[in-house]
Amino acid sequence: MLPNVYGFQWSAGHLIFLGAFFVVGTIIAITLAMALVRSLRDKGHKVETIRWKSEFGDLPERDRACRHQFDGRLPGRVCGNGFDCRLCAKHAEIAPGTAAAEPKERYHHRGHTWAQPQPDGTVLVGLDDLATSLTGTPERLDLPAPGTRVQVNGTAWRMERNGASARVLSPVDGKVVETGDSGRGWYLKIRPDNVDFRHLLRGREARAWLQREMDRMGALLPAPAVVGPTMADGGELVEDAAKAMPEADWDAVWGGLFLQP
Amino acid sequence: MDKELIIRGVRRASMGRFLLWLVPWAALLAFGVYAAGLCLYKGLGETNMDNRFAFGLWIFLDLSVIALGAGAFFTGFLFYILKKKELKAVINSAVVIGFVCYSGAVVVLAVDVGQPLRAWFTFWHPNVHSMLTEVTFCITCYLGVLAVEYVPILLKNRKLREVPRFLVFEWELHRLMYVLAAVGTFLSFFHQGSLGGLYGVLQGRPFAFREGFALWPSTFFLFILSAMAVGPSFMVLTTSLVQKITRKALVKPEVMQEMGRISGILLIVYVLAKTVDTLVWINSTSPSLGFPAHRFYASGPFGTWILFAEIVLFGLVPALILLSRDRRARMPWLISAASLACCGIVLNRFVMTIQTQAVPSLPFLPFVTYTPNWQEVGTFLAVVAYGVLVYSISFRYLPLFPQEKDLAR
Repeated sequence: MLPNVYGFQWSAGHLIFLGAFFVVGTIIAITLAMALVRSLRDKGHKVETIRWKSEFGDLPERDRACRHQFDGRLPGRVCGNGFDCRLCAKHAEIAPGTAAAEPKERYHHRGHTWAQPQPDGTVLVGLDDLATSLTGTPERLDLPAPGTRVQVNGTAWRMERNGASARVLSPVDGKVVETGDSGRGWYLKIRPDNVDFRHLLRGREARAWLQREMDRMGALLPAPAVVGPTMADGGELVEDAAKAMPEADWDAVWGGLFLQP
Repeated sequence: MDKELIIRGVRRASMGRFLLWLVPWAALLAFGVYAAGLCLYKGLGETNMDNRFAFGLWIFLDLSVIALGAGAFFTGFLFYILKKKELKAVINSAVVIGFVCYSGAVVVLAVDVGQPLRAWFTFWHPNVHSMLTEVTFCITCYLGVLAVEYVPILLKNRKLREVPRFLVFEWELHRLMYVLAAVGTFLSFFHQGSLGGLYGVLQGRPFAFREGFALWPSTFFLFILSAMAVGPSFMVLTTSLVQKITRKALVKPEVMQEMGRISGILLIVYVLAKTVDTLVWINSTSPSLGFPAHRFYASGPFGTWILFAEIVLFGLVPALILLSRDRRARMPWLISAASLACCGIVLNRFVMTIQTQAVPSLPFLPFVTYTPNWQEVGTFLAVVAYGVLVYSISFRYLPLFPQEKDLAR
């Protein structure tokens, strides 16, 4: 195995065989060590980014549909940018411009939150109607303290109800300035880092997406007879679907809704 | 608690039913551990192996599971190195199967070799001129690689990924996975080859001895090729078996068909190479060592039918089925062909291990028979039970089949 160990010879056979073995062993050790060092070096800054990249990669293909599937411009296209259209060359080609946020307009995130710019430069963040219907009133709400930084696709807050739990994704980058609750219609007031909302949906595009989302969520709920009138046919959303359908696998529904595999 | 560990959106059996499934396998494992313990404590005298028949059921099992487990390295090679992205659907399952196969093989080898406390001698004082040393080094290293490849899958568990440090480590390790895939391919290439070479260099046994290139007899290359050919077929077979048992669609049919196609292409190349090798052996190698090849098939249960079964029934037939787009598009044909291919490699390893020792190596020697006793069978079954247990637990709590959720809707 090593010089001066019984059985070792300075011959080509020994050197080639053991050399190859040591090289392989070293590569395995270095690979492990590199992964370990990289993970130890990260002081928690990258966790949210990595979590989203990891979870986005694990989402079923149909949940990663490109937004331009909804308007029929890129049928069948799957998003490869973690729903961050600001990084997408194809989106820039199709919808050029900066799309600065307009006050009072609601911009929708694919994780069922909306961001609404306010005249004072802050942004209100809340759950859209579908998410409000499917989550009802959470039993436990973990909102970030004012001053906490949030980032696009990172955790905005956590909720729990009936054994289902979820992290709700933030639609914007910025600092939390105030917290709300389901009763106030919004959960966070954020001072955004910028007003570039190209990654968010609005207007007709948002409505087309929401219709598709109703179908997607409908597939996760039991007994179409119960779900039908409220969801897939475009009927009214019930106020608290969790209460109306206690037999549903709400953990799975919330996972699908908030994009968590 | 159990529900919190299961991936969101997939259905698993209740804890009670799952435990009921595990109990018989755990009992089998306990029985096998007892049998293996006896062999370790009292020595190989507890088995039916002797100096004439030194390789028995265990080595046959080792060679078979290592060949079948090649699906792990080959799928990894196709996915990480050749970027065949559709194989993402089975890569995690392939890693777990590979890990189970190799760890099981190493445990059985440890029982067979005996004296586990002195196992380190193999590494510290290696005989670098022995094919077995190369096999030992490569299998041990590759088991290490598989264990490292298993870690990110383990850390994908729903509860574990909530721990930020684990999440980052899993991510960083996953980014380096192509390095491990390349190392795994290198190691597998050599240990699969060396296992074949081990028989090919047995000059005193004309049934197994083969000529070849430079250091390596033809069996070196045939073992590599056959393992690569059958690895994807074994993945098709295990995936369809899991689908059948769990009554769930886990992988899209297109992925299964693609694995079948890859298996078919490699299998036909293997069948051609094996045919040429057999013809050279019959017409040149064996007669030159004083044995007309037909004499090896004259006594005992191993007639020429075994040659036909290995090359035609379990080689050519599945290869042709897998190469036909229409045939492999139908699941019963695909699964049947994959099963035949797997049977073929197991038969090949049986022939190389058992028949090689049974047939006479000198004209006046008799045909030797060997039947494994209950200790050997028990140890064998323990490995099967261990594999089922590890795979079942992994299937329940880890994302082995990423398409499962999509297919469930």
